[in-house]
Amino acid sequence: MTPSVAGNIRSLTLTIAIAFLVTSIGVGYWTMVASEQLASDPFNPRLVAAIRDRPRGRIVDSTGGVLAESVKTAESYQRRYADRSLAHVVGYASFKYGASGIEAAYADSLIGQDPGDPLATWRARYLGERETPGAVVLGIDPKVQKAAVDAIVSTGRRGAIIALDPRTGAIIASASIPSFDPNQIVDPRTEDIAWQQVSDNLERPLIDRARSGLYPPGSTFKLVTGAAALENGVNPDTKVRVDDPWQADKSWGDYFVRSSSHAHAEFAMADAYRLSENIYFAKAGLQIGGPKLAEYAQRFGIGAAPKCDIAAAKGQLSNIGSLDRPTLVADTAYGQGELLTTPLQMALVAAAIGRGGVMPTPHYALEVRDNAGNTIRTIAPSPAGQVIRPDTAAKMTQYLVGAVEGPGAFAFGAKIAGVHVAGKTGTAENPAGPPHGWFVGFAPAEAPVVAVAVIIENSGQGGVDAAPLGGRVMQAALGR
Amino acid sequence: MSLLFRRGDELRLLVWVAAIAATGSVAVAAAEASTFDRTQLIVPAAFIVLAVALHAFLVARGVRGDQLLLPLAAALTALGLVLVERLASNLLAQQLQWSLVAAGAFVATILIPRDITALARYKWTWALLGVLLLISPLLPVIGREVNGARIWISFGRINFEPWEAVKILMVVFFAAYLEEFREVIAHPRRFGPIPIPPVPYLLPIIAMWAIAMIVVIFEKDIGAALLFLGIFLAMLYLATGEAFYTLIGLVLLLVGGFVVYHLFGHVQVRVDTWLRPFAEDLRFDAGYQIVQGLFALGNGGLLGAGLGNGMPERIPIVWSDFVFNAFAEETGFAGAVALLALYLLFVYRGMLIALRAPTPFLQLLAAGLSFIVAFQTLVIVGGNARLIPLTGVTLPFVAYGGSSLVTNWMLVALLIRVSDVTARMRGSP
Repeated sequence: MTPSVAGNIRSLTLTIAIAFLVTSIGVGYWTMVASEQLASDPFNPRLVAAIRDRPRGRIVDSTGGVLAESVKTAESYQRRYADRSLAHVVGYASFKYGASGIEAAYADSLIGQDPGDPLATWRARYLGERETPGAVVLGIDPKVQKAAVDAIVSTGRRGAIIALDPRTGAIIASASIPSFDPNQIVDPRTEDIAWQQVSDNLERPLIDRARSGLYPPGSTFKLVTGAAALENGVNPDTKVRVDDPWQADKSWGDYFVRSSSHAHAEFAMADAYRLSENIYFAKAGLQIGGPKLAEYAQRFGIGAAPKCDIAAAKGQLSNIGSLDRPTLVADTAYGQGELLTTPLQMALVAAAIGRGGVMPTPHYALEVRDNAGNTIRTIAPSPAGQVIRPDTAAKMTQYLVGAVEGPGAFAFGAKIAGVHVAGKTGTAENPAGPPHGWFVGFAPAEAPVVAVAVIIENSGQGGVDAAPLGGRVMQAALGR
Repeated sequence: MSLLFRRGDELRLLVWVAAIAATGSVAVAAAEASTFDRTQLIVPAAFIVLAVALHAFLVARGVRGDQLLLPLAAALTALGLVLVERLASNLLAQQLQWSLVAAGAFVATILIPRDITALARYKWTWALLGVLLLISPLLPVIGREVNGARIWISFGRINFEPWEAVKILMVVFFAAYLEEFREVIAHPRRFGPIPIPPVPYLLPIIAMWAIAMIVVIFEKDIGAALLFLGIFLAMLYLATGEAFYTLIGLVLLLVGGFVVYHLFGHVQVRVDTWLRPFAEDLRFDAGYQIVQGLFALGNGGLLGAGLGNGMPERIPIVWSDFVFNAFAEETGFAGAVALLALYLLFVYRGMLIALRAPTPFLQLLAAGLSFIVAFQTLVIVGGNARLIPLTGVTLPFVAYGGSSLVTNWMLVALLIRVSDVTARMRGSP
């Protein structure tokens, strides 16, 4: 008997109907579910079209100073940016080259569709009724920002400085040199040439070195190693013998850890911070072991991107993400090895110690306002968590004050009259030339209102050059 | 019953088509110019006259049977005109001319084969014609390469994609061949649960399919290759009910896909852009079109931006490859589902015609033709919505393009003829 064609037609039709249903669900996913995410993609031309046809919201600093606004020209709106040193933070909104920085991260707020105001979003999307958007307010303090820019410029080198408030995580200054002029990137007359120039430039001006520049942390990483040691049975008062150069045993072959002061002496932890003694911290790292050191690095967010309103780079603890051999543990413990961190990350480490072990969540924006000036949404993320015990943090603070103010301290340049400053220099060996100079710190040491991280690329003397710059920026922040 | 009220449902449904054409066209023009002007109604009016003329022709000719297919196809074509006006208004006059040619092809298909069952007798002629058409783009003088695919032939100013016609010839040939041999093919000897196909009997259709595959691979047209494979498997299943054949076919598809993936760079790029279109190295390059297409879908929401108010023109070649996304952006999820429902209704009516048809040949023919519309819609919409890799088939009736419109209207005519035969045999109107 031959099967009837009719039955086959029925089952094929059923299959087709199911396929149509699945396809409809797929279309529903993109039109309804994924639409928020697609709408805020910085390369979505619909987002950027809003730049031309109607004014975008303003971006202002913490004192109300305008950093970005839409200006009406003959046939369209043109974005104007006030401060070139904030090009990386404020970003740009180009019709052709997409958006970056705050312009991208708060794109929906800047076209009057902030997630905190669903009614306005709904009206704009479905009814086409759009009100003039308000403003995104940043935590940037113009005085601190100027101090940071002047500090880097005074060295004549590339570098970055980021300063934040440890109590809230608000970023109050962020400078990355070299920078670029975002006005040229959004101007149709100059956009192509300007874009080509900044993207081809070997000094990489488009990269925000403060949140995305990856550097070996050098001795600033000793903040992590020391905290890990204190919480894992290392007695800080025990004197440790240091003889330069040092290796744990013969299996290290011709590999040695070297002391920057060529020391032959006994060190307690306080001395080791003051003189940034590599061999002390290498021994401490080996004493607690690779897994513990890796655990504390992870607690401080090393190797992960900090949760932040503008995406930041993540860095690494090591090439494979763990510490698997004694020489790598020793090198990592004093900040070399295969470590890579950003200034933002190291500023957060300093902030966590200053705040009694609680690491804040960083954020550039403070709030979103409507066009009448009313607050639509406050940006105040809860802290990332308690990463070390309060008593450990207090002890660390004491040593870091010593590293700035103690006799012969490397970070003496960060001293501020009348205020106790906690800090640590770092000198990052790198394959590209002379070592980078680091400084991380916070002030006042007892109840910090500012934490800072400084990196000066290929600076002559490393951290000793960076410490005074950190001091100037913190002073500007304290004076506010 | 008076002549005027024959096919009355068809005429009433055409009123709705007129409403769609007029409002769509006015909405698009109004969004552009912010004014209403009576000239904006010229194109929809011309099209409605054409559709009503086709209806009148069917009445005059005494054609019986299905009254939904013509309004459905007309509605889809009208939406196509609205979208061409919206997305590429410089092509609108051309698309209207093609609608006229398509209507001519529809009339010709109703008139010319006096006895539609006789199509089965010339099956080898159809097979040969199909192969010749497939090879034609590779020939010098008339062959044309557009956007990297050599799938066009042109005579003077007229360009045509032959594979669009081949899909119909293929269904006619398969229907005729399978009607003759399906008993043998449907009763394979079994090795346990595994049927051993009677290869000698399958050889001609496998050969036809293989030639088609080889040619489209040479012409770099993945969409056509997929469509041919789909037709082949669907027809085999319809004739034999042997799901195992379909399974073998799908395995062949995976193996073949794996082979061509490794042999051809353009296939790798397609798959790559499907898997990660948003990747930094692809979103401005090979993935640009699909990423822009998804942005358009995302802007759709429930009810859409309104005709003329979205930004679908940012999608490259939107009028032929991504009309679905343009429509979904401006009419929303609701509009997109409504459009898919029109297609499903069309396919449902076609399958109903197939179910009722009196002979296996007519059943296979009608079901195969309906399957073409279903499969082509699913493949292009699936590609547009990134459910499957994007291939270059057209959205039936709606996407800009003459060859597609003409052959699809011939397909409608064939389905109406099958239902006409059934209605006459059963003595229903």
